Amino acid sequence: MSSFEIVEPRTVEEAFGFLAGDDPAIRPIAGGTALMLMMKAQVFRPVRLVSLRALDNGFTGIAPGHDGAMIRIGAMTTFSELERSAEIRRSFPVVTQAMKRLANVRVRNVATVGGNLAHADPHLDLPPIWIALGAQVLILGPGGERAVPVEEIFAGYYETTLGHDDLIAELRVPVRPAWRSTYVKVTTRSAHDWPALGLAVSMALKGRQATDLRIVLSAATDRPTRLIAAEAALRGGEIDRSSLRRAGDAAAEQANIESDDRGSADYKKHLLRVYLARALDSLAGE
Amino acid sequence: MAAVTPSRQIGRSIPRLEARGKVTGRTEYVHHLRLPGMLHGKIFRSTIPHGRIKRIDVSAARALEGVHSVVTIEDIRTVIPHPYYGPAFHDQPILADGKVRFAGEPVAVVLAADRRVAEEAVGLITAEYEELPAVHDEVEAATSPVVVHDELKPAATFPDLQHLKGRRGTNVALDYQLLRGDPDAAFASAAHVFEHTFRTQQVMHTPLEPFVAVADVDGGRLTLHTASQNPSFVRIEISRLLGWPENRVRVKVPFLGGGFGGKLYIKLEALVTALSLLARRPVKISLTMDEQFFMVTRHPCTFRIKSAVSAEGRITARECEIWWNGGAYADIGPRVTQKAGFTAAGPYDIENVSIRSYAVYTNRPPAGALRGFGAPQTAWAYECHTDMIAAALGIDQVEFRRRNLLHNGRPQASGTVLRDAALGLVLDHLAARMNWSRPLDRGSGRIRRGRGLAIGFKGITAPTTSVAVVNLYADGSCALYVGTVDMGQGSDTVMAQIAGEVLNIDAEAIRVIHSDTDVTPYDMGTLGSRSTFHMGTAVRLAAEDAKRKIAELARELGLPPGTNVPLDELFRRKYGMQAGNIIGTGSFIPAYEKPDPATGQSANVTPFWGVAGTGAEVEVDTETGEFKVTRLVNVADVGTALNPKLVQAQLSGGAIMQFGFTTSENMTFRDGQLTTNSLADYKIPTLLDIPRDFINEIVESRQESGPFGGKGAGESTTIALSPAVGNAVADAVGVRLTDLPVDAEAVFRALTAAGIAQAQS
Amino acid sequence: MSTARTIRFTLNGSPVSADVMPHETLVDVLQQRFDLRGARESCGQGLCGCCTVIVDSQAVSGCLYLAWFLDGRTVATIESLETAKGLDPVQEAFIEAGAFQCGFCTSGFILMVKQLLDAIPDPSDEDIRHYLAGNLCRCSAYPEILDAVRIAAKRRADAVHS
Repeated sequence: MSSFEIVEPRTVEEAFGFLAGDDPAIRPIAGGTALMLMMKAQVFRPVRLVSLRALDNGFTGIAPGHDGAMIRIGAMTTFSELERSAEIRRSFPVVTQAMKRLANVRVRNVATVGGNLAHADPHLDLPPIWIALGAQVLILGPGGERAVPVEEIFAGYYETTLGHDDLIAELRVPVRPAWRSTYVKVTTRSAHDWPALGLAVSMALKGRQATDLRIVLSAATDRPTRLIAAEAALRGGEIDRSSLRRAGDAAAEQANIESDDRGSADYKKHLLRVYLARALDSLAGE
Repeated sequence: MAAVTPSRQIGRSIPRLEARGKVTGRTEYVHHLRLPGMLHGKIFRSTIPHGRIKRIDVSAARALEGVHSVVTIEDIRTVIPHPYYGPAFHDQPILADGKVRFAGEPVAVVLAADRRVAEEAVGLITAEYEELPAVHDEVEAATSPVVVHDELKPAATFPDLQHLKGRRGTNVALDYQLLRGDPDAAFASAAHVFEHTFRTQQVMHTPLEPFVAVADVDGGRLTLHTASQNPSFVRIEISRLLGWPENRVRVKVPFLGGGFGGKLYIKLEALVTALSLLARRPVKISLTMDEQFFMVTRHPCTFRIKSAVSAEGRITARECEIWWNGGAYADIGPRVTQKAGFTAAGPYDIENVSIRSYAVYTNRPPAGALRGFGAPQTAWAYECHTDMIAAALGIDQVEFRRRNLLHNGRPQASGTVLRDAALGLVLDHLAARMNWSRPLDRGSGRIRRGRGLAIGFKGITAPTTSVAVVNLYADGSCALYVGTVDMGQGSDTVMAQIAGEVLNIDAEAIRVIHSDTDVTPYDMGTLGSRSTFHMGTAVRLAAEDAKRKIAELARELGLPPGTNVPLDELFRRKYGMQAGNIIGTGSFIPAYEKPDPATGQSANVTPFWGVAGTGAEVEVDTETGEFKVTRLVNVADVGTALNPKLVQAQLSGGAIMQFGFTTSENMTFRDGQLTTNSLADYKIPTLLDIPRDFINEIVESRQESGPFGGKGAGESTTIALSPAVGNAVADAVGVRLTDLPVDAEAVFRALTAAGIAQAQS
Repeated sequence: MSTARTIRFTLNGSPVSADVMPHETLVDVLQQRFDLRGARESCGQGLCGCCTVIVDSQAVSGCLYLAWFLDGRTVATIESLETAKGLDPVQEAFIEAGAFQCGFCTSGFILMVKQLLDAIPDPSDEDIRHYLAGNLCRCSAYPEILDAVRIAAKRRADAVHS
C-alpha cells in the first residue's frame, strides 16, 4: 500500500470538506474490509481516506420509521449488528438468514451496510436482498439529501451512480407483512465461497397467485439486476409449472451472464432457471 | 534424572511435544524472523508465459526513496557465476535469464528496509518481451515444436538422467519405462480389452505459512533461516552454487506452517543467498499467498490406460502411458515421473505390464512434489478404470478387485516382491465399513445416491539416508538431534517416542533439537512418507548406540551387567562431578537395487509400500449436477501406529486435502495466465465442506523392517480418494467423469451429454 | 501528507501506545512493535483467520484492520489467554483433542472458538461448522477441532456449574 492520510471528521459538513474535489484517490471509509482488499491488491491507491467512524451523528441504529411502514438502518450498522437485531429478524428474516453464509464472523463484525453498497461488487449478498425488499437508500451530499431505490445506485461492475462526495446515510426498508422473501446463494466449489449466483425473491401471494413480486439476480451479472421480464411473466398469475418455465425462460433471456471460474455462462443460466423455480415454488408453498 | 516409567513409549497417543507453544501463539516460524539490518525483497514477475526479455527498466524503482537496490540476473551473476539450480536438472535460473518461461516467473527483485517501499517499487518496474509461442498441455508439449528449454541440463545427482544430457529440441525431461512379461501377446489373445484416458488438474499446496527464507552472509559464512523440508539438501545445493565447502553454509529450520511437499529442494534459498551476498545485509523474502502459486504445484497429468482381461475377469495385461505436466522447470518432476510410474498399473497382480511415463516441460508454473508424489494422479486413472471394467463385465467392484489384487509374496510390476503391504486387509476392511454387501438407499426423484471405493499403493523414494544423534547429558536427560522437519506431522513427538522406547525415558522428557545443519546431522529430507521409517530407524540405532555406551561405561566402572545404577550416578563416578556426555549415533540407508533402465525391473525398488483405500457415498442432484459426499471412509496400512492419535490426524488431514484436490481446487489459466491465485478463487476445504460422516481407520499390520513395526502414514489417504468419489458419482447417476476436479458443472455436463439431466420444471 | 500518529489502546490488559502510519495494519503493529507472534498474516484477504485479533470484544481480521483505528480501543490477542493460572479451557481442549498440526492457524481458531462459546455456549455441530467456516486449516485438523469445541464447551459449562 502506498502512503496516504486518514482523516476522521466529526460532522458531515467536515466530511464533505475532506471529500471535495474530484480526486478518485479520496474516498470515504467505513468498516474498510473491502477497501483494504483493493488497497492491498493495489487496484485502489488512496491519497486520503475519510473515515466515517467518528461522525457525531453516526449513521447508526436500526429503528422503525415514524409510521412503522419502514425500518431505518444506519449506514454504519455492521453486519453483526444486523444479524443480532430482533427488529430485523422480525421484519426481514431473509436478512438474518443470509448472514449465516455471508463472508465470515470477522468480516461481519466490521463491514457495514453502507460500505457494502458503495463497494458495488456484484457478488455481495445483501444488495440483491435489499432490492428485492424494495429498499431505498438515503444519500447525503453537499447539495442536500435524496432517497433513491437501491437498484439505482449500481452502475456496473464495482461502479455506482454515487457522486464523489456523496455519503450513504441510511437504508430505508419498507415493512410489508404480506410479502415473503428468500435469498438463494449458489456456490459451485467450496460451500464457503463467493456465489456463482445470488437470487433474491420477494413476493406477495394470494394462495399460489403472485399478486406482486420482485426478483433480483446477482453475482452472475455485472451488477444486481431485477429480472423484470420474469417478474412480468409471473405477476398476477398462479405459480405453477408453466408460469415457472416462462419465468425461467424470461430470466435466462434477460440476464447478461458471463463465464468465469465459478461456472460457464450456460451452466449459470441453467442454475438460474432451476433455482428461480425452486425459490418461487418454496415461497408459494410456505 | 529423567522420569523412568515402566510403560512403553510406542503406541502411546501422547500430545505433540510442542503443543503448548502452538496453542499460545509462541511457536517459532521463519515467518516471524527479523534480523538487525534486514532488507525485504519483493519480486517483479513476468506477465507473459513465454518470451525473450528485450529490456527491463528498473530506473524508476531504483529512484524511489527508501529503495536499497534493484537486482536482476546480471547482478546475481557477479556473486554466483552459474546461477542455475534444481534437484534433477540445473535448469532454473535464480532470476529469469534472457527468457521467461511462465507467467509469474521472477524477473527482478527490489530490496528495501521497508517491505511496503519494496512493494511499491516493484510496481514501477517495466519489462519488454519478444513474445514466443507457448505450450501449456502436457501431451501437446511432448511433441510440440515449441521448446521450453533449448537444451536439457541434468544434475549429476541423478544417474538415470545422464542420457538426456545435452538433448535439444524436446520438452521431455524424463522418459521412464517399465516392461514386464509380453503385453503385446496378452492383448492379442485377450477376451476383453479396455482403454480409457484420464486427466488431472493443476493444484497447489497452499501452506498457510507461505514460502519464506532469510539469508545472512557474514564473515564468509552464510546462515539461511528457511521454511524448508530438507535443510541438508539446501546446504549441499547452495554450497554447490557458491563453490563453498558445506561447512560454510548453515541452514536453520524452526517449525513449518505446513509443507505438504512444497517446501522441498531449493525454493527461495538461492535467491535470498544471492541478494544477501550483493547487499551484504540479511535479506528476507516472504511470499504472499497469491505468489505461492508461482513457486511450485502438483503435476497435472494425462494417463492413457489399457487393460486386457480374461473371460474369468482376470487382468492379464496393462499398458500405461502417462504425461506429467512439469511446468517451466523440472524441480523433482522426473522423480515423480519415475516413482509414480512404476506403480501406475495399480496394486494388482498383472503378468504383463508396459509403462511409459514422461516428464514434460510446459509454460506453466513449475510442478514438483505434493503429498502422494504422483500416486494420487495415477490412482485416479487406474481405479476409475478398474470400476469401468468391472461394470462392463458385470462383476461387483469389490469382487473384481479381490480377484486381481496383488498379495504379499507376489512380484509387483517392477519385479520387486510385495512384502508387508496389507492390500487385502485394507480392501476387506473398507468393504466392511462401507457395508458393501448391503444394498444402498439409492434415492428417488432428482436426488440419486451412489457409492464407490478405490484402493491404491505407492513406492517410497529410495535409496535415501538419515542420520541421528542421541545426546545424554550428565544428569541423564536426553536430547535428540534430527534433521527431520516438524511441519505439523508430529515428527518431533514420534522420534522422541522411538528414542524413549529404547532408552526407557518418557518421550515428553526428551528434547528434540531442530534442524540446524551446524548441529544436526544429515537427513535426505522430510518427504514422501519416509521420516518415520528412515529417521525413525536412525533414531532407534542412535538410541541403541547410546544404550551400549551406557553399558560400557558401567562395565568400565566395574559394575555388573544389568546394573540399575542411574546414568547421572555413572557420570558422577566417572568424572567425579556432574559432567560428561554420552553420544549415540545412528545412520540408516535401506537396501535398494537400481531398476534396469530398459525394463524398470529391480529386486528391491522400495523400502516399503504405502497402502490405503477410500470409500465414498454421494448424493447427486440430477437437475444441477451438485453433489454431496455424505460419507467418506479411509482405511490405511501404516504398519504399527507408533502414536495412534497422530496417525489419525495424518490420515484425516491427507484425506481432506485430497478431497479439495478432488472437488474444489483447480488452478485455471486464461491465455497462460493463472486466474485463481488467491484463496478467494482457489478454494480449499473448510469445515462446511468436509463430509458429515467421515472415518479413518487403520488395519492390523506390521512393517517388519520399520522401527517397532512402523512406517510412513502421511500420504496414504491421498491415494485412493479421488477415484472413490468418481466411482460413487458414476454409481449414483451412471455417468463417468474422466477429468479432475469432479465439480457440479462437470457432473451436470456429463448428465446432459448422457441425456439424464432433467428438463426444467 | 502521510504522517504518523500516536495511538493509545489497551493491549492484553495493559495501556500501550505506538506511532503508526496510516497504511499499517493491526497485525503488522502487533508483530513489529509488540513482538506478538500469535496473529499472523497468511491469505491476506480475511479468509483464513490466521490473523484473528479481538478488538473491543469482537473478532476481526488483523490483516484488514488499519492500526490507525485502534486508538482508544481494547485489543486482546492469543497471548492474553495464558495466565498465571494456566491455559484457557479452549487451549486445553485443543491440546487434548489434538486439534492442530502445523499450528499456524491455531491462534485464530482458538480465539474464534472462544467467541463462539461466548455467543453460543452449547453449539450444535452445524453451529460450529458455520461459525468456523471462515477459518482455514490446511493440515485439515477439522475433525479434531470439532472435538476440541465440544470438549471446551463442556469444560466451560462444568466450570460455571461448579
